Amino acid sequence: MILSRMMVQRSVILGTVILSLIFAVMPITLTLAAWRPEWPLLAIIYWIIALPHRVNIGYAFLVGLAVDILLGSTLGFHAAAYAVVVYPAARHYPRIRNFSLSQQAILVLLLVLLARAIVFVLEHYLNNAPFMPHYFWPALSSALFWPWVFLIFRKIRRHFQMK
Amino acid sequence: MSTPLFVRSVSLKVRLTLALSLAFLLIFLDHRLDAMQPVRLFLNSLVSPVQYLAVVPEQALDNFISQVQSRRALVNENELLKQEMLDLQGRMQRYEFLMLENERLRTLLASDSRDDRLRMVAEVIAVDSDPFSHQVVVNKGTRHGVYIGQPVIDANGVIGQVVSVGVTTARIILISDQSHAIPTRSAESEIRVIVQGVGSTEFLELMHVPHSTELQEGDLLLSSGLGGVFPEGYPVARIHSLVRDESLPFARVRATPVANLDRIRMLLLLWDAESDQQPIRPEQEETE
Repeated sequence: MILSRMMVQRSVILGTVILSLIFAVMPITLTLAAWRPEWPLLAIIYWIIALPHRVNIGYAFLVGLAVDILLGSTLGFHAAAYAVVVYPAARHYPRIRNFSLSQQAILVLLLVLLARAIVFVLEHYLNNAPFMPHYFWPALSSALFWPWVFLIFRKIRRHFQMK
Repeated sequence: MSTPLFVRSVSLKVRLTLALSLAFLLIFLDHRLDAMQPVRLFLNSLVSPVQYLAVVPEQALDNFISQVQSRRALVNENELLKQEMLDLQGRMQRYEFLMLENERLRTLLASDSRDDRLRMVAEVIAVDSDPFSHQVVVNKGTRHGVYIGQPVIDANGVIGQVVSVGVTTARIILISDQSHAIPTRSAESEIRVIVQGVGSTEFLELMHVPHSTELQEGDLLLSSGLGGVFPEGYPVARIHSLVRDESLPFARVRATPVANLDRIRMLLLLWDAESDQQPIRPEQEETE
């Protein structure tokens, strides 16, 4: 019984993460794409705060790796960024749970900004990427979408009684 | 079942250190040693379901739109397509005549005749949202004979080349990617110049153009065939600005890509008719 519940939990988490990856590569017009929130990171941040014993830095690393493959960037860029960024979330999850939604959104803004900064620095030094301000816009849209992501994910988590 | 109070078996710092060292090892292997190419085939195939799923909504929308399109709109479109077809057929006759003539002239000059190229239509199934890598994924892979370094064009001009392949997908780097450069030749003045992507689909930059250049705004740049990747004579870009700032070592020349890089849907994969790499058209798909 316990085993099967664990299986359900695992597949629900995996399902939401795969959905976030699909959203991350879904073709949309370029003007919108510049504002596309960092869906996979949002999903990972939620699960790390909600179920820190299920989803951890290793999970974030693997999702980052999947993003690397999907986006065709050098393997390890997003993996490193995601692993670093979720560290504070995993460390202080009890405190973050008690944040209000707007406080959480600000935190998400900072985390996505940090993740993008790490990827940019790596791209800049290894692949000579020029600075593009619009690369950092998704931090803003991610923060704006966070409350909805949080509420929807909480609904999913409560529906499956995941603790 | 109550949640245990101390859930962590391994400390977070150890996990982070492990993850980071693994990530840097990967970056080193992939970037410095380029050792991940064979693994990428496998990885690309692994994530291809995600890419196929990602286009489902768009395809459904397209289907829906074509379902609800009125009869009149369809008739109009049909009419338009027929006219276009007639126009193209007219040009095709001329092209055939010119091709024969060209071949005759080439035999007179005792130089090699040029072979036709084999083409295959591919559909874009994913576009990268990352501005640092301008790449698209198409629904053709090793099963269709796609190979790394294959040139890709669309109806207007050069799009890019294949950088990695999966079994049913291939990843194409666009000419606008910051790591891509293509040798070209001006159609007007025959000057050879390298066109470099800068990470924007709006414009490309021309490398190492001296201030005394004969290039002019509006010049059309064709692929020169010198790199051995792109066949000769396909339109790449048109020069739209030429700034001769004497304080810089070279003139700053920008060109707009001829192909619509920001809205690619269908594109053409090219095969050299004489090379070992040949397109594979799965028979069973057609008979099914």
